[in-house]
Amino acid sequence: MIPFGIVASLSLLYFGMLFAVAYYADQRSQAGRSLIDNPNVYSFSLAVYCTSWTYYGSVGRAATSGIDFIAIYLGPTLMAFTWWFLLRRMVRVSKEQNIASIADLISSRYGKSAVLGAIVTLFAVLGILPYIALQLKAVSYTFNLLTIPSNELAHGARHYIPGLPATIDTALIVAVLLGLFGVLFGARHLDATERHEGLVAAVALESLLKVVAFLMVGIFITYGLFDGFTDIFSQFLARFPERHQLLMLNTEQIPYPEWFSLTFMAMMAVMFLPRQFHIMVVENCREEHIHKAMWRFPAYLFLINLFVIPIALGGIILNNGDTSGADFFVLQVPLDSGHPWLALVVFIGGFSASAGMVMVESVALSTMILNHLLMPIILKVYSGAGNLSGLLINLKRIAIFAVILLGYLYYRTLGESAALVNIGLISFLAATQFAPAIIGGLYWRRATRRGATVGLVLGFMVWFYTLLIPAFVESGWLGTSILDDGLFGLAILRPTALLGLVDFGLWSHALFWTLFVNVGSFLAISLLTTPVPAEEEQTEKFVDVFKDRAEAPQLRRISKAPTIIEFVELMAKFIGEKRAHQAISEYLGNREIDAKGSLSEQELPQLKRFTEQTLAGSVGTAPARIILENYLAARGSHMEDVFDVLGSVNISRTASREQLSVLYEAARAASSGASLQTVLDEILKIFTDQFRFDLCVIRILDPERQALTVRSQRGTSLTQAFDADRELTMDTFIGEAFLTNHMIVVNDCDTISKQKTAEITRLEGIVSFAHAPITVEGQPIGVISASSRTAKGIFTEEFVELFGSLAGQVGVAWRNAQQTERLIAAREQQRELEIAKTIQLGLLPLSVPEIPGIQLGGICVPAKDVGGDYYDFLLQSDGGIGLVIADVSGHNVGAALLMAETRTLIRARYGQFGTPRDTLAELNRFFYEDLNRAELFVTMFLLEFHPESGRAIYASAGHSPALLWRKNAGDYLRLDAEGLILGVRREFPYEQENVDLGPGDVLLLYTDGVIEAANSERELFGEERLADLLKDSHQLAPRELIDLILQQVRLFSGSHSFNDDISLVVMKIEEVKKSS
Amino acid sequence: MNLQTKNPLHLREAWVICFVLGLVMLNFPFLHIFNKDVQVFGIPLIILYLLIGWPLSIVVVALFSLLLGAKEEQDHDSAPPPPQDQA
Repeated sequence: MIPFGIVASLSLLYFGMLFAVAYYADQRSQAGRSLIDNPNVYSFSLAVYCTSWTYYGSVGRAATSGIDFIAIYLGPTLMAFTWWFLLRRMVRVSKEQNIASIADLISSRYGKSAVLGAIVTLFAVLGILPYIALQLKAVSYTFNLLTIPSNELAHGARHYIPGLPATIDTALIVAVLLGLFGVLFGARHLDATERHEGLVAAVALESLLKVVAFLMVGIFITYGLFDGFTDIFSQFLARFPERHQLLMLNTEQIPYPEWFSLTFMAMMAVMFLPRQFHIMVVENCREEHIHKAMWRFPAYLFLINLFVIPIALGGIILNNGDTSGADFFVLQVPLDSGHPWLALVVFIGGFSASAGMVMVESVALSTMILNHLLMPIILKVYSGAGNLSGLLINLKRIAIFAVILLGYLYYRTLGESAALVNIGLISFLAATQFAPAIIGGLYWRRATRRGATVGLVLGFMVWFYTLLIPAFVESGWLGTSILDDGLFGLAILRPTALLGLVDFGLWSHALFWTLFVNVGSFLAISLLTTPVPAEEEQTEKFVDVFKDRAEAPQLRRISKAPTIIEFVELMAKFIGEKRAHQAISEYLGNREIDAKGSLSEQELPQLKRFTEQTLAGSVGTAPARIILENYLAARGSHMEDVFDVLGSVNISRTASREQLSVLYEAARAASSGASLQTVLDEILKIFTDQFRFDLCVIRILDPERQALTVRSQRGTSLTQAFDADRELTMDTFIGEAFLTNHMIVVNDCDTISKQKTAEITRLEGIVSFAHAPITVEGQPIGVISASSRTAKGIFTEEFVELFGSLAGQVGVAWRNAQQTERLIAAREQQRELEIAKTIQLGLLPLSVPEIPGIQLGGICVPAKDVGGDYYDFLLQSDGGIGLVIADVSGHNVGAALLMAETRTLIRARYGQFGTPRDTLAELNRFFYEDLNRAELFVTMFLLEFHPESGRAIYASAGHSPALLWRKNAGDYLRLDAEGLILGVRREFPYEQENVDLGPGDVLLLYTDGVIEAANSERELFGEERLADLLKDSHQLAPRELIDLILQQVRLFSGSHSFNDDISLVVMKIEEVKKSS
Repeated sequence: MNLQTKNPLHLREAWVICFVLGLVMLNFPFLHIFNKDVQVFGIPLIILYLLIGWPLSIVVVALFSLLLGAKEEQDHDSAPPPPQDQA
């Protein structure tokens, strides 16, 4: 025995050293020179797998049941073969997803399910707590073994520390110190994904110590007390030949199935025990460390087991076959052989094995408890209030202590019972239950949340029934009846012979049934259920973690999205302000921020994901998801599916092709030469066929009504409101799009401010829409609208661009159609004008009649191609002459024909009508019907002159008065007569006037084109100017006078061509040469 | 060896084969061959078998690990293709 003080101070010294190493490692880490970023440290830290259960227990097992303990270490060796695939995948996924624990891994894989996380945590705690108790027991027991004389120990006396109350024993002190260590080095920050360098360094050091200690005692016993391996084997077999089965397999205690089961359970345990996962995955610095650890860790296991059999056999020999203390042969043999220093080294080694396991396990479990059991409650209670980061980190610290102290409590209440014996393997099988959900989740796409949940729950129920119930019976908690007779007295429900599976080892039986129900239900339910979208997203990230995944298509958006600041505030609430700001600045560092200092709609979901991931590092993936969801829900925003408008999963890669195809089709339709209606319909069809919109409308401006009228439409309007014409006002989005000439996109109709539109969209059930102005040469001519009743957020940036281009195509189509129309109209008009021109030219007198005593002249200058003017000279049988000048409104064929008719009638029947008054009255009557129908009218001036008498009789039908230059008077006279325009009233009494003309008098008949010719100041030529011209130039011959007038009018208006037809008729009475 | 280093698929397949081989050789019925009550060099046969088989499997993993390391270095070195002198 060794004095208490020495053992206690050595233990405390050792503790101090662990703290120092951990502190040093943390310092190094902060200085950027990580101590644990090293494959050897990683390999050693993995050896946290070897607890005191293996340190002491292996020898005990070898001495009592045989060599099956080797299976516990062979399993991990075999598993190491898979690490480059399986472990690397787990590490990669976890780093990408900020996964902090095994519960997180499973929950995250199946759509960040909070329920699944809680289930895994509960089972993990249930399965691991006894294991922690076992470690505390080992420390306490070995401490006693060293400090208490063996005779006292044999009586089972509990040794209490001198000077302290009876309730405080070594185990409690150790528990508190380990808890302190866990808090200091495992819960400094909330971010569990950040490596705990101090913790890992301490664990690696402990692993080094325990293997060294074990090798020392092994060499001491094998080569110090005995003469090597051969000697021990031969001595053992010579002294205890009946125990040769200890050195064989397929014995009563170790049938082959048991060997296989243990190997398999160890394979799963080394991967899926929470502490293994924590060290292997969460604390992994880089993937390259894995492939070195793949052989270093198995080599470690081999070394630490190399001397287990010699020590066990040596212990049996030295104790004369007594194996009651076999679990502690390692300690007892050096002690009994008088080497207390060696015993102390062994004690420290064993202490290391316990401490390392408790430290890592408590940190791993506390993370799980906080993230998956406490967080959901906290989030319910503290919705929205205050900064939680302080509370959370303290809760985590409390959880570390709670886990260790619960283990201590377990040890104090059940510590001495046989229930502890197989605790290690019970924990192994608990960890094995996680395997289907994890391995399946990493490699099998069809795995679903429900499958995993049911598999886990059923697996754990069977685990409890087939392993814990027998353990409880053994410890006396339960009567043996359940073991013998089964539950409810049903023999097929016996926990160790379920459904009559008898004579199967305890472990093989439990392993078989747990995996059978676990894997079976996992597979079956996964096949029967379909994953929810959140799961599918995660499936991709897990199963395809090594594939070069294209940037996930942006299929979701946030409605009423929070700002960056709000995201930061949210993070700060959970991880503290400083770290939140640090995180966001890293995130925003390489992102574009728009002018308003906010991210685009496409970037926001990514920021949300980043926030979630950052929070996941501290609170776990499922709580992080819940936090974000609650937060968004509380402020009325939510994630929405962005309609996959481009019709394929991978938008970004194929978008341009799809876009091009639609635009190409639209362009082809636009230039097809079909009618505008056909083209518009075709473009809308192409558009709606490609993208699943509910209602698409093209409206074109009707300039007369100043309204946007529907020209083409696809899809049906429920209320007839959505497809109605629109006024040109800013009250509607369509009007706004047109008037501002900007596209308007509303991805969520809940947010619109325009009352009228809000009402329409509500009635129509439309949730999102866009209006793009249709422009021609930059000027809007209409609006194209697309709307959806099913999906908000359809209009992504890419789509908006496409929509704009499509509107451009409609514009092109419209312009093309307009041009075509104009061309056709022009052609038709041209032809008509030609006809009219021919007619008109045919109507005008080809030559001026020659009448003695008078000179005549006439001209008609049509305004454009054809005129509506007419003049004629009508020779009468009595030697008189009729002058007619008329102006038909309109410049088309109709007018020309009417003129022709007039001419025909006048020419045919002139003279029969009688006087000009009668002629006009007759013409009026005759044309009344035609003119009325054709909406034409004719003004006419008719004058009859009889050279013999020198008298002129005239009448006017609304025509401009003629001008008469009277030579004798030296002035001009207006010849006007009352008369209505022809074709207005059927009967009208035309006035008739007469005037006597003398020699030298000049008569000028004209149409209003002359006096209404305007100059650039809009001043009219006027009757006065015309009269003055006549006055000044009356001496000219009629032809010259006409030319002069035309020239003056042209000069006046400043233009060669006239706006209206101009016709002039001049009659000059020759001066009679009285002398002759 | 050369093939393995050149072709990662061979390495992967060989790896899986070794893993399966390990599973088989360290289990029934393979163990049954050595599960005899005889001593070789004074050590029970099954224990001798495990004492040799176990480290052997570790050596195999170590070899793979070395190959993997060499291959990665190779990949790393040859990542930027050497410029080819066309002149």
